[in-house]
Amino acid sequence: MTADAPRPPAPAHRLPLRWRVMDRIEAVAAALWPAAFRRATPWAFLAPALLLVGILLIGLGYVISDSLHELNPATYRLREEYSLGNYAAFLDRPVYLLVLWRSLLAAVLVTAITLVFAFPYAYVMVRTRSGALRKLLLVSLFLPFFIGQVVRAYGWLIILGKQGLINQALEGLGLPAATLIYTYPAVIFGLVQYMLPFAVLMLAPALTAIHEEVELASESLGADWLRTFRHIVIPMAKPGLVGASVVVFTLTLTDFAMPEILGGGTNDFIASTIYDMFFQLSNPGLASALAAVLVAVGSLIVALVFRVAGTGTLGLRSGS
Amino acid sequence: MTPMVELDNVTRRFGDTAAVREASARLERGEFLTILGPSGCGKTTLLRMIAGFDRPSAGRILINGQAIDAVPPFRRSIGMVFQRLALFPHMTAAENVAYPLKMRRFDPAEIPERVERYLELVRLKGFGSRRPHEMSGGQQQRVAIARALSFSPDLLLLDEPLSALDRKLREEMQLEFRRIQQELGVTTINVTHDQREALVMSDRVVVMDAGRIQQADTPAAVYRQPSNRFVASFIGMTTVFPGMVAEAPEGIGEIIVGDVRLPARLPAGGLAPGTAVDCGLRAEQVRVVAPGAPRPETTIGGLVERRIFEGDRLVYEVRVPPLGNLTLMVFDHDPATHAEHEVGARVLLGWNARDLFVFPKETTENATRQETGPAS
Ligand SMILES: Nc1ncnc2c1ncn2[C@@H]1O[C@H](COP(=O)(O)OP(=O)(O)OP(=O)(O)O)[C@@H](O)[C@H]1O
Ligand SMILES: [Mg+2]
Repeated sequence: MTADAPRPPAPAHRLPLRWRVMDRIEAVAAALWPAAFRRATPWAFLAPALLLVGILLIGLGYVISDSLHELNPATYRLREEYSLGNYAAFLDRPVYLLVLWRSLLAAVLVTAITLVFAFPYAYVMVRTRSGALRKLLLVSLFLPFFIGQVVRAYGWLIILGKQGLINQALEGLGLPAATLIYTYPAVIFGLVQYMLPFAVLMLAPALTAIHEEVELASESLGADWLRTFRHIVIPMAKPGLVGASVVVFTLTLTDFAMPEILGGGTNDFIASTIYDMFFQLSNPGLASALAAVLVAVGSLIVALVFRVAGTGTLGLRSGS
Repeated sequence: MTPMVELDNVTRRFGDTAAVREASARLERGEFLTILGPSGCGKTTLLRMIAGFDRPSAGRILINGQAIDAVPPFRRSIGMVFQRLALFPHMTAAENVAYPLKMRRFDPAEIPERVERYLELVRLKGFGSRRPHEMSGGQQQRVAIARALSFSPDLLLLDEPLSALDRKLREEMQLEFRRIQQELGVTTINVTHDQREALVMSDRVVVMDAGRIQQADTPAAVYRQPSNRFVASFIGMTTVFPGMVAEAPEGIGEIIVGDVRLPARLPAGGLAPGTAVDCGLRAEQVRVVAPGAPRPETTIGGLVERRIFEGDRLVYEVRVPPLGNLTLMVFDHDPATHAEHEVGARVLLGWNARDLFVFPKETTENATRQETGPAS
């Protein structure tokens, strides 16, 4: 034997480079961010989101503050003194209430119609055994996203317009031309078409979470598909339905482009009115009041929905 | 009396693979039948066809003597407990149990009393107002059973509902379930890959492999008289080895394995001398014979190669040079009074002639099967 002298312990085999790099990074991180700070880590990750919400809240603060100053028609500046004049003007002029009512009604209608269409779509997409059909449904869902709302609305103008494809076809058949655009139903139609992908995307995960065996169980227990749908699928899909409703409702309530383009100025929503008030009539006070009302009404309704459906439906633990 | 369920040459193909092939079986009223087989052998497929969720590609299924192809699941009187239970999470236990009663238009005045009775039957009195997620696995299990039974179905189907439970709870539930089934006398088909469960619970066991029914018999017959090599090796821990028929009267004959002749039980009808066969010997039927102890019918010496302690028993792997160096598995159930044999020790092994199974060599289709089933 030659190895008489005590030798240092054999060097450990070399670890892969990636591991060593990661170990270094962890060591540096531990030095910069000692264990004592660990409890703050979750908050650190939340910080960007909190910052964003915070900025939004500051903006909202400015809006509300502006809404409390009336416009001085002489200077086109807001007066110094606080007043509720803008809100009085809102309540005074039926046109604003009409616009708000129109937006709310549209939001309700669009939400209801969209869900009716989106539910079967999402259901088939989730449940079909045919991979080809699922892909087709997914692609048709995402394609409109790439096109954008404004371009799509113009697309509808081309199809539905006075000289549009449909009216040309009607003319060819010797039928009188129909007014298909610049009407309330046209706006609703455009919005439903725009909202459908959002609703489907909100519903699909909720439906995926319902295992098929649950539906089969319901059938074997004596429920036909209609009753299975009513008693099992719909209640179990509630989180998705509530989520989709809230998203579609709020997006519709505050929508701008569809009523502008497909309504052609005849069916303005509150967002268009706010826009006009800011940029056409240069009355930031009244515009802010309208915006504040919109935020209040929207928040109230969403709060009500959560109150009735329970936030638990969104996968959040309810406080009770 | 017409049988409750009759399978008549039922085949179900998915593309070019057949999940169930030409299955024929009868189930009498009140019987508890278990379909036993390895994963993927077609148990669920067969059960789904009986429940009406799927249709045979060929063959017929009769329930109460009537073809039921055109009857949708919700019109069949079949209760089913699914592999994943499939409880309704948005309903309480009582609402789950009441669901089939409402859907089947039971008299509303009768429903609460019935729900109460069935919850009691599965020993869940007082749990009615809990949601499934507020209950343990075993409790959810029992809600699923109560729900499948509450409307007094003609037939109850169980798709491995016990497989998700831990062993102790599973064994409790097996006995519990057998009690309920006998109390109600409901005709039941249970599906499992747990041989113990099949033997413990059933009146009859159907052993399946690769979509085919291998044997349908009482638990004792399936265990003691396996009809082929697969059944012999799937149930119990069985060493399978090749041999050749030496002498073949019906009943106990002699086979040649390695350099020795062994008495063995030949299949009914006998086999011609010189036929190549597969032999099977269950580990639990081979004993380590203590010196001076009474000798079983066949004894042979071997060398301990491996020893595994399993608590209630010792498992030895013993090499037996005269049998062409074959390694036999041996269970020794009473280590306390027996000497524990070290690796390398010489031991005397013994078994009774009727416990050495002999099957004609199978065609290549069946020859690639696994050699030993899961340990019991
Ligand atoms: N819808 C299907 N499409 C294609 N093949 C299928 C389908 N359903 C089952 N199979 C195949 O049929 C065979 C039997 O499946 P089955 O679900 O009946 O097995 P199993 O005996 O219930 O198994 P396990 O014990 O694992 O539940 C499997 O090989 C499976 O891959
Ligand atoms: Mg299965």
